[in-house]
Amino acid sequence: PWQRLRQAPRHLLVCERGHVRHERSRHAAHVRDHAYNCGVSFLIPECGILPEVLKSTIADLGEYYLVKNLSVHEFVAHEFIDAFVKKGSCYALTYNTKIDQDNTAAVLPNGKLILSVDKDTYEELGLQGRPSRYSGKKVMRYIITIDLADSSFHPDSKKHNRVLWALKEKKPLEFDFLMAWHSAGAEGSTLMSYFSKNQIRALKPKITFSTLRDLQCPVLQSNELQGQPEESCGTEELFEWLGAVLNQVSLDNKSSSFLSTYCCPQPSVVVEKAFLCTITGFIIPEKIIQLLDQLCCYFGEPKLAYWLTLTVHGFADSPVSWRESEHGFHKGGENLYNFVIFRNLDYWLQMAVGTNDDCPP
Amino acid sequence: VGAALPVDVLTYEEKTLCAILRVISSGFVKLWSALTLLGFYQNRRCAFRVLQASPFLLALSGNSRELVL
Repeated sequence: PWQRLRQAPRHLLVCERGHVRHERSRHAAHVRDHAYNCGVSFLIPECGILPEVLKSTIADLGEYYLVKNLSVHEFVAHEFIDAFVKKGSCYALTYNTKIDQDNTAAVLPNGKLILSVDKDTYEELGLQGRPSRYSGKKVMRYIITIDLADSSFHPDSKKHNRVLWALKEKKPLEFDFLMAWHSAGAEGSTLMSYFSKNQIRALKPKITFSTLRDLQCPVLQSNELQGQPEESCGTEELFEWLGAVLNQVSLDNKSSSFLSTYCCPQPSVVVEKAFLCTITGFIIPEKIIQLLDQLCCYFGEPKLAYWLTLTVHGFADSPVSWRESEHGFHKGGENLYNFVIFRNLDYWLQMAVGTNDDCPP
Repeated sequence: VGAALPVDVLTYEEKTLCAILRVISSGFVKLWSALTLLGFYQNRRCAFRVLQASPFLLALSGNSRELVL
């Protein structure tokens, strides 16, 4: 029992190295596979204002929607599937539901409808699912996955009728949803007009800019993930340093300070200024990829900075982390990733998850 | 806890009365328990509410549970 007092919940941080222009680079795939993002930040050392190359991407982050009191069976309707699931990429996630307590639903761009429900709801619904991986010995949570885009899910199929009956009549489920749709050129109605009968609100991501002065930045070498003593810092040190910067933690405490002993990893240099931009809302991977591409273009011209970072936070209460890996909330629902893009377009990609999560891809 | 187990106060904001604390992993449970049980300070009643806990400092800069639309 005394052992338990000293145990902290497990977590995982993986780091991958690559080059953006390499044909087999998986950087875009990792971004695309992480569907639900509530915050994106980028930090550019030696930069004081929003770079020109990023202006249009920042201006065009698109909209997302909050639809209140939406019944889940609406996603199973074929008008919805044909208009938004089979064309473009549709993202939906329940808003203000806690993955460790409440029922949660999500629609992935690959057409899968994911329901994460408690035991009572699962038994009342009567749809086939599997126990949650993070439920412990006594199963209290189940995951039901319905492939809306599957060819066998057409309007007259038994499967479709059973799902519709379960969600419409047996155990209706209603939530507030955050939604977004990336049309990829497809024509047709928009989410706003389709859900005009529901309480739907269009929202724009919130953007803040700040310029940090005299910032101590670690020295990094793209080919040295672990760092080199006296020459460069490693990925874990960078990850923690970035956390300190984004949380406004003072970077130069002395080890004798009684308040905090945190200090910037060494070796480091002081940069006169650094530009920090933070975007919050319901941000889809397509926009993050655009942002990433433009950040790479930043190094198209000679710049003082050796590297810049792009950090993306996932929703703590999302039922999935990457692809369809189940995500849970133990003491923290972290699922985030961070790119460090170097001048030569080498990159480090760090992916972090908490206790109730699979290893990131 | 502060004497037996080193705890860093990384940030403190007087306006929101919010702080970020750092402790070694083996001290995590003890620190959280100590905060929960601390009901008085210098004869004044007080309570601590843990908003977010993570092994990653970077995770604390984004909290979807506090997303206000």
